[in-house]
Amino acid sequence: MDMSFTPEETAFRDDIRAFLKAELDPALARKVRLHHDLTKAEMEGWHAKLQSRGWLAGNWPKEFGGAGWTAIQRHIFEEESARAHAPRIVPFGIAMLGPVLQKFGSKEQQDHWLPRILNGDDWWCQGYSEPGAGSDLASLRCEAVRDGDHYVVNGQKTWTTLGQHANMIFCLVRTNATGKKQEGISFLLIDMETPGVTVRPIVLLDGTAEVNEVWFDNVRVPAANLVGEENQGWTYAKYLLTHERTNIAGVGFATAALDNLKRVAKAQRHRGQPLSDDPLFAAEMAGVEIELMAMSTTNLRMLSAAAQGQAPGIESSMLKIKGTQIRQRLDALTRRAYGGQAMALTLEGNEGPEGADEALAASATWLNNRKLSIYGGSNEVQRSIISGALAKG
Amino acid sequence: MDFQLSDDHRMLQDSLRGILARHSGEALMPALLEAGVPQALLTEAEGGFDGSGAAVALIFEALGRAGASLPLIGTMIGAAALAQAGQPADDGATIAFADAEPGTRYDRGVAISVDGDRLTGRKTMVAGAEGAAAIIVTTADALWLVAPDAAGLTVRPYPLMDDQRGADLIFEATPATRLGALADFDTVLARGVLAHAAYALGTLSAAVDLTLDYLRTRKQFGQPLIAFQALAHRAADLSVEVEQARSAVTNFAGHLDADAPLRDRHLQACKVTLGRVARLVAEESVQLHGGIGMTEEYALGGMIRRLLAADTAMGDADFHLERFARGEPAFA
Ligand SMILES: Cc1cc2nc3c(=O)[nH]c(=O)nc-3n(C[C@H](O)[C@H](O)[C@H](O)COP(=O)(O)OP(=O)(O)OC[C@H]3O[C@@H](n4cnc5c(N)ncnc54)[C@H](O)[C@@H]3O)c2cc1C
Repeated sequence: MDMSFTPEETAFRDDIRAFLKAELDPALARKVRLHHDLTKAEMEGWHAKLQSRGWLAGNWPKEFGGAGWTAIQRHIFEEESARAHAPRIVPFGIAMLGPVLQKFGSKEQQDHWLPRILNGDDWWCQGYSEPGAGSDLASLRCEAVRDGDHYVVNGQKTWTTLGQHANMIFCLVRTNATGKKQEGISFLLIDMETPGVTVRPIVLLDGTAEVNEVWFDNVRVPAANLVGEENQGWTYAKYLLTHERTNIAGVGFATAALDNLKRVAKAQRHRGQPLSDDPLFAAEMAGVEIELMAMSTTNLRMLSAAAQGQAPGIESSMLKIKGTQIRQRLDALTRRAYGGQAMALTLEGNEGPEGADEALAASATWLNNRKLSIYGGSNEVQRSIISGALAKG
Repeated sequence: MDFQLSDDHRMLQDSLRGILARHSGEALMPALLEAGVPQALLTEAEGGFDGSGAAVALIFEALGRAGASLPLIGTMIGAAALAQAGQPADDGATIAFADAEPGTRYDRGVAISVDGDRLTGRKTMVAGAEGAAAIIVTTADALWLVAPDAAGLTVRPYPLMDDQRGADLIFEATPATRLGALADFDTVLARGVLAHAAYALGTLSAAVDLTLDYLRTRKQFGQPLIAFQALAHRAADLSVEVEQARSAVTNFAGHLDADAPLRDRHLQACKVTLGRVARLVAEESVQLHGGIGMTEEYALGGMIRRLLAADTAMGDADFHLERFARGEPAFA
């Protein structure tokens, strides 16, 4: 057993660090750290910087313009980026749709859409969930009816993250209402500028509006925008989900949150001393840190098994549960570190207590990160996946 | 033993329920004032007619259940403190209670200092500071009265998590009247802590009720969510914890007028229990709802924020747990 990174991996880490140091604007990093909403231009600007180094699509093979990184390299990149408070790469085009098109898309679709993802021509969002179809995604009802060389789409999607910035949405739509519900679903690419598409923002607990409702009213979509075969969308969706769940452990985000917690605890006074010197609080921080140490290695063990060709099974479910629990615990401790200061909630644009934007960030982050255990397959759904596999033995 | 409400308290509860059913938002405070509800929070010596633990608990539980966010706790603390110091406040005037300080969890006198009868420094998260008729300020070991238009006082307002307006107060050699040592006001402050705990109880029971309703009606995989055992057991755990929270409030309310050491143990146990259960309910009720629980439009969201705020106010669960473990008094 060798637990150290190879010299190549260490050199790779140094490269990433140097890049982040040179290219990441401290003001932007501060916004990320304080959990402020980034503008579309800020997110696109970061994508462009990464793309200029060929690093935007670490997960794509070189033939499609990606970096072709190994799982360990991707892990290193994500960890360093998170610790430096770089904006996270918006996942919908790069991490989700890209791999689906590469595996199931036609040559024309690949040639047209993949470069546009890399150069920022399109902003994609994910149209899976519906009001009636959350955990039970296969019961989705938004329908697409073939009409000559078009599909006519009617229905509603919801929880569409960053859909307000998007010009394209990949959707799961129902193309067959009879038979097994998984078998009548298709994977369709829809231009959001088409007449009949309406987007309405949903405001979340922390006052941000990062998710949206999307309605389709007789929206005509070229049949050429169907990915793969009609009624086979469920297979592609499941494939996409395995990609959605890479970096699911969020080790980098947790490490950044732990760094931040330690900084806060050092600055906050408790009984006249730094809170970090308080044995009760220090023990709680140590407890999460120890959990994170184990999770980080669980993550690396699973990445390295995958690199040796072992198919990932329930591991990503395990990482999702543990990773989100650790992050939510860190968020809770950071709020607790602020005590009586953690009561404000300032929406961006409103004035807040002077110098207390850090404390504000603690509450807003706590509220916003409740989503971690809900989206991308809730923790309950992950437990069902694990226990289902355990039951089979 | 008798856990029933007295006839007077039952009448108070009925009239409060009626008011809360008929009024909300801006109209609520005048309706409560008109019905004399604030007087029920004060003892006869303080110019009210009750001020018992039972009255305070039932009033704030009802307000929590109704989701009413009012600067009533500060007003209650302020009016009682002023009365005790021999300076009764006007009926119907809002009083702000400035306790939390920047840069510290719950230490007092870190960000604010005293020079003679002048205060310099800061207080933060002060609910109802805008438009208050008086401001009561804590320092390391004393309680002070500051006029809202006092020289050298700046009020910087912003929204709080519980939908109230809060403010940072900046004092620059601001003249203040010393009301007395903090320790002399412990019964008044204890009533404030009880109010926060009871408010949290009302809020969390409403959140659990809403969650149970949702689990019974929301269907996934062709069944109501409550049919999934993994969720049903968690719903059961929540209802167990609501009962614990209720008992903790009952214990403290029943010992509000007990000797300080006994009262403080119940105070701390109550705040610890309510803080723990409030955090649990906040996390679990959002999770059990799924995405909808995270939205501002749905009633749960505001409840969650009010729960977090109630835990945070006047010492959170961690603060009181430490003091309980060390056998320290609640104040000073
Ligand atoms: C911030 C945010 C961003 C999102 N972004 C997107 C996006 O971009 N695109 C998109 O398509 N979707 C998105 N989602 C939707 C997300 O995938 C769903 O919220 C999630 O699948 C849960 O569905 P639901 O909200 O309908 O909850 P429900 O499915 O109604 O679940 C409610 C609760 O019941 C539990 N539950 C449900 N069924 C079972 C069962 N059989 N056994 C045990 N427990 C069960 C759930 O775990 C949850 O705790 C987002 C959600 C959020 C909150």
